[in-house]
Amino acid sequence: MRATLFVRRCVLLAAAVLVTGCNRGADASARPTVALVVKTLNNQFFIDMEAGAKAAADSLGLELIVQAPEREIDVERQMQIVENLIQRKVRVLMLVPNGSKEIVPAVVKANVAKIPVVVVDSRVDDGTLKAAGGTVATFIGSDNEDGGRMAGAYLIERLGGTAKVAILEGVPGHETADARLRGFRRALAGTPAMQIVASQPANMERDQAFNVTQNILQAHPDITALFACNDVMALGALEAIAAAGKGTAISVVGFDAQDDARKAIAEKRMAATIAQNPREMGRLAVLTAHRLLKGESVPTEQPVAISLVR
Amino acid sequence: MMSSATVRRIVRGREAGTAIGLIVLCIGLWIATPYFATAANLSNVAEQSAVIGVIAIGMTFVILTGGIDLSVGSLVALVSVVIGSALQRGVPVFAAVAIGLLAGAVCGALNGLMITRGPLPPFIATLGMMSVARGAALLLSDGRPISGFPDGLRALATSDVLGAPAPVVMMLTLYLLAYLVLTRTVFGRYMYAIGGNEEATALAGVNVRRWKTVVYAISGLSAGVCAVLLVARLNSAQPIAGIGYELDAIAAVVIGGTSLLGGSGSVIGTLIGALIMSVLRNGLNLLGVSSYLQQVAIGVVIIAAVLIDMALRRRVQRSSR
Amino acid sequence: MPTETLPEPVLALQMRGIRKAFPGVQALAGVDLDVRRGEVHVLLGENGAGKSTLMKILSGALPRDAGTIEIDGRAAALASPREARGARIAIIHQELALVPEMTVAENIFLGRAPTRFGLLDQPAMVREATTLLSRLGANINPNVLVASLSIAQQQLVEIARALSLDARILIMDEPTSALTERESTRLFATITGLTARGTAIVYISHRLDEIFAIGDRITVLRDGRNVATQEVRQADRRALVRLMANRDVDELVPPTIRTTGKPRLRIEGLSHGSTLHNVSFSVRSGEIVGFAGLLGAGRTEIARAVFGLEPFDQGTVFVDERPVEIRSPRDAIAAGIGFVTEDRKREGLVLSRSVRDNVALPILKRLARLGIVHRTAETAIAESSVRDLNIRTPSVRQLAQNLSGGNQQKIVLAKWLATGARILFLDEPTRGIDVGSKQEIYALINELAAAGVAIVLMSSDLPEVLGLSDRVLVMREGRITGEFTRAEASAERVMACAVGI
Repeated sequence: MRATLFVRRCVLLAAAVLVTGCNRGADASARPTVALVVKTLNNQFFIDMEAGAKAAADSLGLELIVQAPEREIDVERQMQIVENLIQRKVRVLMLVPNGSKEIVPAVVKANVAKIPVVVVDSRVDDGTLKAAGGTVATFIGSDNEDGGRMAGAYLIERLGGTAKVAILEGVPGHETADARLRGFRRALAGTPAMQIVASQPANMERDQAFNVTQNILQAHPDITALFACNDVMALGALEAIAAAGKGTAISVVGFDAQDDARKAIAEKRMAATIAQNPREMGRLAVLTAHRLLKGESVPTEQPVAISLVR
Repeated sequence: MMSSATVRRIVRGREAGTAIGLIVLCIGLWIATPYFATAANLSNVAEQSAVIGVIAIGMTFVILTGGIDLSVGSLVALVSVVIGSALQRGVPVFAAVAIGLLAGAVCGALNGLMITRGPLPPFIATLGMMSVARGAALLLSDGRPISGFPDGLRALATSDVLGAPAPVVMMLTLYLLAYLVLTRTVFGRYMYAIGGNEEATALAGVNVRRWKTVVYAISGLSAGVCAVLLVARLNSAQPIAGIGYELDAIAAVVIGGTSLLGGSGSVIGTLIGALIMSVLRNGLNLLGVSSYLQQVAIGVVIIAAVLIDMALRRRVQRSSR
Repeated sequence: MPTETLPEPVLALQMRGIRKAFPGVQALAGVDLDVRRGEVHVLLGENGAGKSTLMKILSGALPRDAGTIEIDGRAAALASPREARGARIAIIHQELALVPEMTVAENIFLGRAPTRFGLLDQPAMVREATTLLSRLGANINPNVLVASLSIAQQQLVEIARALSLDARILIMDEPTSALTERESTRLFATITGLTARGTAIVYISHRLDEIFAIGDRITVLRDGRNVATQEVRQADRRALVRLMANRDVDELVPPTIRTTGKPRLRIEGLSHGSTLHNVSFSVRSGEIVGFAGLLGAGRTEIARAVFGLEPFDQGTVFVDERPVEIRSPRDAIAAGIGFVTEDRKREGLVLSRSVRDNVALPILKRLARLGIVHRTAETAIAESSVRDLNIRTPSVRQLAQNLSGGNQQKIVLAKWLATGARILFLDEPTRGIDVGSKQEIYALINELAAAGVAIVLMSSDLPEVLGLSDRVLVMREGRITGEFTRAEASAERVMACAVGI
């Protein structure tokens, strides 16, 4: 008696899952399926990448699955998603790794299943990959270090070579943010009057950036420049600066050129951001996947241009 | 190993509902996608459930005694980093793992001591430990992942034992052990008794404080085992690993029918709960369902599982009055 | 006014053909109940006779399967506790239903606190609570937390809450089970006051004495059916007991003659703070020593101290004339002491576990090798307890929560007997237990004493203490103020000692 009640509810639940599944799977058999796994889907950057990839997939007649862990830092979950997609027998795997070394076992599993791996935006650690005997088909992305250097050069120019600078770092140990940071520091190294007074991680998150900036402003009320390793943090910093009544006294430079950042720049609240063009990355990734499916060879590096938005 | 009476009890017991849920889910996915019911995929699902499955054992013990342990996710990170730095310093794999497990058990025991010797409720004590352990993991690793380990460790995650992935065999062994502890040992009886009525148990001469401390130490230890699996699987020790694992573990326990009030439940239910979560995630991945919808689906399953469990319990109570 | 010309219905409550079934049990098989205005109508019956179910239906807590209810001559649905409250029906639960973390005043006005400008009117609440409590003669500060009160005091708060509802029909389920004689007397005075104003009272109790003191009519239920309704004046005690149980039960405690042995337990100069002052006594093997006294006189405190639950400042415990150090229940159990606590559900049993698990709990270590429980031995012990103590349960695997109060109490006793306790503290051993089970427990206590167990009996039920004990010790304000042999002890003398006349 009680079992039947339970069964009935479970069947309902299963039916709901089936309906969603069937809708999506209806024409999957006809068209080759490729998958894009990004870091997370609660960041505008990856949502843009998804949009670029979808548009390209539609025009090329590819079935595209886009998935991501709930949290940007959850490598284990991303690995599970990759494993599951391998079982799903996707033809090409496009991947934005959450951990440059940690994701290597998943890449190797794709290699074993003969699924080509297209790495997008963040690199897979070369040494670790080689040691594990894995390969990737290509890397599509911008040179993050170059972007960081661009941001530094712009701040030197804008502030006449003298400033007290604060930095908001990303998740420690993560390649993308680390590269941006390296580039930025390198750009400032030649100009001693550009003095870095604070450099703190805010884990790529807006609310953490707000708090960290607030704390930095307490310790160093005289900073005139701030570089954040992504726009999400830059926007958080802007709020904290505004709350402290510093208005436009501090030149804030972000990274990623998100819509909100562009708007802030247009309103003169923010100095600049580095445009990475995630849409183009998504488009290029799907294009590459299509070429791989046709058996064409692809270059191992496909840079996507970056530009300064101010 | 199990007598037929035991098997019958499981089939008739409360786990039956959860098990039927799992089976129905599997059948649904089997019909929905050809990729689900393949040997390779099923072995993946089992492997993917090992991480949460192992922590959920300790969590089941804690919740059975009427407590909660919020620190396990952070302890996973701390133990990972402890193992990672030990390996970096050239400590042999076996010893590094032992040190890590010890660290997990000690932190768990500290939770237990705060709860039993001090006036702290479990929620507060383990909330504090959650932050302390996370901070310690970041301090110890300078916030950076540690990687590049000997193959001996990787083997823990990649090798096969009797044709099944090593993590799965490890998880099932631990569950069997936990099942025997709960049903056959004095300690198991004490856990149920403490969760059912702590005062009456103390009055019966049971050293409630000591056993509760042991329970939290076991929870820390199971977080340690989870860390070993995770480090081996990712070949990297991450100070930011395990965020949110405590909630996944609690979800597995609750889906498995263990009451958050303590005193009733089983590890078999928890195992099924952990499997339901990973089967669901796997299935939604296979079906290409959007990540947003996946979160909704998992939330719905947790709520549905508890509602059904409560309905069943009310029915059972009514019929036995 | 025209309403005055309408004939007043004499019946406050008329229940007809009430039926209620639970899966497998017909709890009520067509029960009728008429309660007149201003009458105390006693509902009598063994546990399981259907009294509680009937009252739950009347208070809207349970839906009925069939039957009609009229209140003041008008049909009433009473589909929810809210509706029942709207019909001005109030119930005083035997199982206390108070929120421990709230104050006395807040509990009394829970859900309908007086407000002023949308805010709680704390002073008004405290004022009214004080008035209500003093009407009951209860010396309770309305500002203290309920958790800090004794069970008797909590019961008084529960009664005050019901009074505050200004009910037309008031249900009282064993209101005096935890009260002292004096508190009971005040309660009876309050009841008389209420009935004079026309309130109808449905009174459930197992104590025949008080039924005869305040009841007007009695309805006896057995197995979910009416057995009889009669005027209290015409009722006969033995006949009533026979009607309830459908068998002859000797209502009085059977007197037994035992030979007592050597002193088993001796307490020397036990003192603690302001609760215990230089308490000394001894109990021989085979002897039942009863402790009488008002609530808060220190009886329970002695038991808790000797059992290692509370520390004490001074004093020595001797078992078999050897001093023993007791710091925890473990030490007490090792010394052969058992403690049947006053609050069975909170301290005595793990309700969510089986009869077997409960009986075996204190001796699990003995039943285990290398930490693994020997299940056959465990079951054997539980089964022999069930047999020896005549615990009515389908099997030892039945959950404790599914058994009646009397059978639950027997499990608690079985648990201590299994430890091989040779000294037993019994604190209110028959609280909330029906007459039939009470008899069995009395017989059991006598048997235990005959088998050489030293028994310390603490009870607010004076006839119980007088009937069972070989010696009666009286306590007042933490001191022993009197000692009587069975022959000397009488209710008057013991009470005089307890109140300090």
